Amino acid sequence: MMRQCVTAVVSRNETWTGSAASEPYECGWAGEAIVWLRCLSAKGKLAAARARVQISPDGMRWVDEGTKLKFPAKEGALTHARIAHFGNFLRVVADLPKGASAKILFTLTLKE
Amino acid sequence: MDIARALRQSNPKLSRFDPMSRIIAFDDFDDGFCGWTQLVGNYEHTLDSMLPGYAQHTQPQLSNLANWDSGTHGAFDGNYALKIQTRPKKGAQNVALKRLTFREPGPIRLEFYFTFKPEATELRLSETDVRSVGFLYDLQTGFEKGGSRVMPHVRFLNASDGVHLQKWQTKSRTTAIKPLGTEGKTVTHYHLAPTDWEDLPGGEQKLCYNEIPTKVNWHYVRYDFDLRTMRALSLRCNDREWDISGVDPIVMPAMRNLWCMLNICFFAEADTDKRTLFYVDSVCLSGEFA
Repeated sequence: MMRQCVTAVVSRNETWTGSAASEPYECGWAGEAIVWLRCLSAKGKLAAARARVQISPDGMRWVDEGTKLKFPAKEGALTHARIAHFGNFLRVVADLPKGASAKILFTLTLKE
Repeated sequence: MDIARALRQSNPKLSRFDPMSRIIAFDDFDDGFCGWTQLVGNYEHTLDSMLPGYAQHTQPQLSNLANWDSGTHGAFDGNYALKIQTRPKKGAQNVALKRLTFREPGPIRLEFYFTFKPEATELRLSETDVRSVGFLYDLQTGFEKGGSRVMPHVRFLNASDGVHLQKWQTKSRTTAIKPLGTEGKTVTHYHLAPTDWEDLPGGEQKLCYNEIPTKVNWHYVRYDFDLRTMRALSLRCNDREWDISGVDPIVMPAMRNLWCMLNICFFAEADTDKRTLFYVDSVCLSGEFA
């Protein structure tokens, strides 16, 4: 059998401010994932913004998985992180400086 | 044909369906997404032009129905079901769809097994947190036929504003068609607006919700539609069946790039600030043609 590979657009044109989180995404069938964050537009000073991957046993309670990724601070910027062994639920959270915001495209590339 | 029927009935995956003579699609989500993706709204030049009703949509998921208190529930068969999940906001919706075209304008039958629950964020029954789950076709006649776009909608209205209603509804009208952008090529309308739903006469039905938010039971739906007349024929859910030949679908003028379109959509709506989780496993689309 060929390996399944799926692209999931979890957040499209969402405005993120302050402590932001993507919707949870269940993908336990996948053994590996690439988390992509693309900035569609930016307002304010985003240089200090940070993003990280979280995992969950049930899709409701979240802990840091340990992977951090750069926050895409300028329009058109694209950042990513490769992860594996993440269980069943994934999401990305970000902390943006006060007064700053970004429109985000959050994509998962998932593969068995 | 008796041999074909016997073969289907001896196949455990197909035996629980009652398809017409030709199976157009059989989607078992243990095999992957099988062509089911998110409904993305129309836009031109910028995603900001997308109507808010579509902007909220996210990707469907392959779920094993994992619960915090009892672990993986699993699907109807195998481990995975298609999950359509809303955002945690009252009135939030999400839509997954499969995009096909048709080759014979005749009778088609959609069959699927489904269940739904709110996200189990409270230790309560939560039976009125899901507003509705439903399905629709997005169809258009062939170019030579002159042209209508036809969108029959059906939903199970579980609850509204905390009242447990449990009834089937249909829809015959959509919102006004609006042009998008500046090129004169793209339009949009919001057919899943909360307005214009009508009760199906005699359409009250008590489903098996079960007794805590982490137990689910699967239900059967069969929906017959005629692509020649572009009208619905019948609706069945478990042990109830309705003649819906008198129900008008949404009809609008044909659009420029949608000839012979046969899209199937599943949608979910939340009635409280909790995610609605709508599960489907599996789907059989069949047709009556030689």
